[in-house]
Amino acid sequence: MKPIINITWEYPPWVVGAMSQELRRALPPAAKSFPISLVVRGDGDGVTELDGMRVYTVAQSVRDSPHVLAHAHALNIDLLRGACNAYHDAGGAQLIHTHDWVSSLAGAYLSANTGVPLAVSIYTTEVQRAGGLPSLFSMAIFDIERYCLSKAKWVIAVNEVAALRLTKDYAVPPSRLIPCKGSLATAYKRMGVSR
Amino acid sequence: MRVLSLAWEYPPHVVGGLGRHVHHLTEALAERGVENTVITFSDGSSQPAETVGSVKVLRVNPYSMRYPDFVSWVHGLNTLITERAKSAGPFDLIHVHDWLTATSGIALKHIYRRPLVATIHSTEIGRRVNLKNETERHIHDLEWWLAYEAWKVICCSNYMEGEVSRNLLCPCGKIAVIPNGFKAISGSGTGTGTGTGTGTGTGAAEAAFDRQKYAREGESIILYVGRLVYEKGPHLIMEAAQRLRRDDLKFIIVGEGPMRTFLRDLAAKLGVNDRVSLLGHVPDSLLSSLYKNAAVAVFPSLYEPFGIVALEAMGYGTPVLASDTGGLGEIVRSGYNGMKFTCGSPDSLATTLSSMVGDGELLGRVSANGRSCLSGYSWSGAAESTLDLYSRVMSEYAAGSWKPRA
Repeated sequence: MKPIINITWEYPPWVVGAMSQELRRALPPAAKSFPISLVVRGDGDGVTELDGMRVYTVAQSVRDSPHVLAHAHALNIDLLRGACNAYHDAGGAQLIHTHDWVSSLAGAYLSANTGVPLAVSIYTTEVQRAGGLPSLFSMAIFDIERYCLSKAKWVIAVNEVAALRLTKDYAVPPSRLIPCKGSLATAYKRMGVSR
Repeated sequence: MRVLSLAWEYPPHVVGGLGRHVHHLTEALAERGVENTVITFSDGSSQPAETVGSVKVLRVNPYSMRYPDFVSWVHGLNTLITERAKSAGPFDLIHVHDWLTATSGIALKHIYRRPLVATIHSTEIGRRVNLKNETERHIHDLEWWLAYEAWKVICCSNYMEGEVSRNLLCPCGKIAVIPNGFKAISGSGTGTGTGTGTGTGTGAAEAAFDRQKYAREGESIILYVGRLVYEKGPHLIMEAAQRLRRDDLKFIIVGEGPMRTFLRDLAAKLGVNDRVSLLGHVPDSLLSSLYKNAAVAVFPSLYEPFGIVALEAMGYGTPVLASDTGGLGEIVRSGYNGMKFTCGSPDSLATTLSSMVGDGELLGRVSANGRSCLSGYSWSGAAESTLDLYSRVMSEYAAGSWKPRA
């Protein structure tokens, strides 16, 4: 069975903020029902088993960046390298699933070139985090979010506030929006992913 | 063979020499049966897809998104190039030019598991001398990454091979030196290629050239052609003019750039403003006339990966005086097809120039030899060498196990 490739910039023990804990709660239960490959920024390039998932870690290739935008762009090429290894090792994928804008470009690249559908989970949006779009930096991040959301077949709103902002600020149509009220496995089932 | 070339500039959108390089190379490769698709930039004024000659060109417009700075703009361009590659059709190999399309090339290499070839035209360390801030270090890191991911790296000179090997830690065995070609674009001389002309003008305009507008009778024209940026060393001409204190030399500076105001002020400060003319951009016809009427063409670069301007001058039969650095130092052989002076030294420039101008036998010899050495720099030769490199890469790739499995 071809896997669901999850791409994230953090998962324990590689922690940046709260998203890693949310993923720790959501992904292992889903992995009991669906084959999941997880791509995460780690200490080096490698493959391991963790929490019932096949985990592809990638090293960061670029050490210096002038700001978070350049950092995120470069990081997504590293994440893409891991995702491509997961994709080719399994001979394909059923679904590519990314988490917030910091890892969604990698998913959009792989989806655009392979035809594998993309699902993007949104925890918070730039409009929420920045309280609007007060700077050119915020506008640039907003544009990346909008670009990735436009490439996604499904958008998973992790909470009700995110769901509201996605429809109001990003014009995500309700037909593509999946409120994640239950488990991640329920969302995957709704997307028609095979067990 | 099907090649996907990625470049941030391609005609009609030309910023510097890279766009013309990719244009000439892909055309010459197409003549040898290579199916080339170029994905490049558009500002919306050019066709999103067209076939130019035998080359398929796909363009993406990065202005659909907003960016706080140039580095972010480049990353956004690469995002759109990566997405657009799907519409390029199947390809055997990816060829990237410089860091500006590095990330899309690396992305497509891993997605399709196809070999990546990179041409590194110059490096950030070379351009900046030192890496002074996070942006420059970021660009340097991208260059290192590109050299690391590439199956083979192409450089235009032995000097650049050393720079890429030393600064980007690239093993010498991965680097191939393939000199740029030189292509004539006007009937008034052997050609141009520096981007300092405006691309306009006619033979009639050239015939109407009025030398007295630029130099008095008895004055020898010393011509500089190039961008007015520090790495090209135009300020050294002002300093040499001051040291020479000769009324029979007129220095004509052709080209534009951020140093123009500085150079004008420097000429006044050094008391040589009556002997120096800053012309800015000029039509090709005028440039051609200036080359033909110049006693010597001076190229005082502090950093020069290749030095196509020297070939341009040689094409017109103009004796060349160049700084002994980079690719210039390899093209020019002192006393044979030009003269060289110590890089960065206005004293050396002044002394060598002074000795050249009075030596008719030397000027005649280097002029004749300069013309004859141009045959070593053709786009057909560059394409042959590139195709040979592609073939070696593809046979190594075929023998390996790194292949797409999906």
